[in-house]
Amino acid sequence: MSSDFSLFERHVDALYRSALRLTRKPEDAEDLVQETYLRAYRYRNRFRPGTNEKAWLFTIMTNVFRNRLRQRPAPEDPIDAPGTDFSIYDQLRREGMPVHLMSPEEIIVERGFGDEVKRALEELPVPMRMVVVLVDVEDFSYKDVAAILNIKIGTVMSRLHRGRQALQKKLWEYSGRPKARPVAVGVH
Amino acid sequence: MGDHCEQTIRNLSRYIDRELTEADVRKVKAHLDDCPPCDEVFEFQAEMKRLVRKECCTDDAPARLRAWVRQLATEKPKPAG
Repeated sequence: MSSDFSLFERHVDALYRSALRLTRKPEDAEDLVQETYLRAYRYRNRFRPGTNEKAWLFTIMTNVFRNRLRQRPAPEDPIDAPGTDFSIYDQLRREGMPVHLMSPEEIIVERGFGDEVKRALEELPVPMRMVVVLVDVEDFSYKDVAAILNIKIGTVMSRLHRGRQALQKKLWEYSGRPKARPVAVGVH
Repeated sequence: MGDHCEQTIRNLSRYIDRELTEADVRKVKAHLDDCPPCDEVFEFQAEMKRLVRKECCTDDAPARLRAWVRQLATEKPKPAG
């Protein structure tokens, strides 16, 4: 049995970094991962060999996390469903940035959009945050995410869409645009 | 923006997330090759996804937690009772 369990052991970094995005605190993240592994250990006979063990572990972890949220409904996440479409790309174009002259990577680095990704992600409402983390960070398929969170694929897609837009909006705001830097045209 | 552009933009997230069928992937690819404005949007969205992953993958589990899991994995099944 111990050799079977080592299959789960290799996902400790993935579980921890996702736990950190969910709980926002290292000590809570560590606790969440421990609880996840204890349950995985207890129910290890229920895991069907050959199926996706990473998805199985994430199912356990997101369930534990959601139960904990219910137990101590601490600061409620604002469900600020962004009404209008938002993308950094559109904003840059609106600003008159010659986006075609630089690579996206250069633009992102130059404007500092990458500096606050974790913070922006951690401020997303939990349902969106979970989907963005599972798809963008952990590389799960929509189908896996639907199974992990027990929601429909359509819900995965809409939360992902809204989550990414909300994330970009926050990154845009944090990067201090557009007021931080004077626009490079002859303004008097 | 033509029909092809609209359709491509609508499929862009699924294209980036590798959720499209092969036939749809070919359609999106063909359009992106022909349409620099759509390709620009694609490149930017793809880069945003890479950025989120890159920024979040820097947090590894603390050594203490890793050791704890290791111990759980190597633990001998406790004798009944």
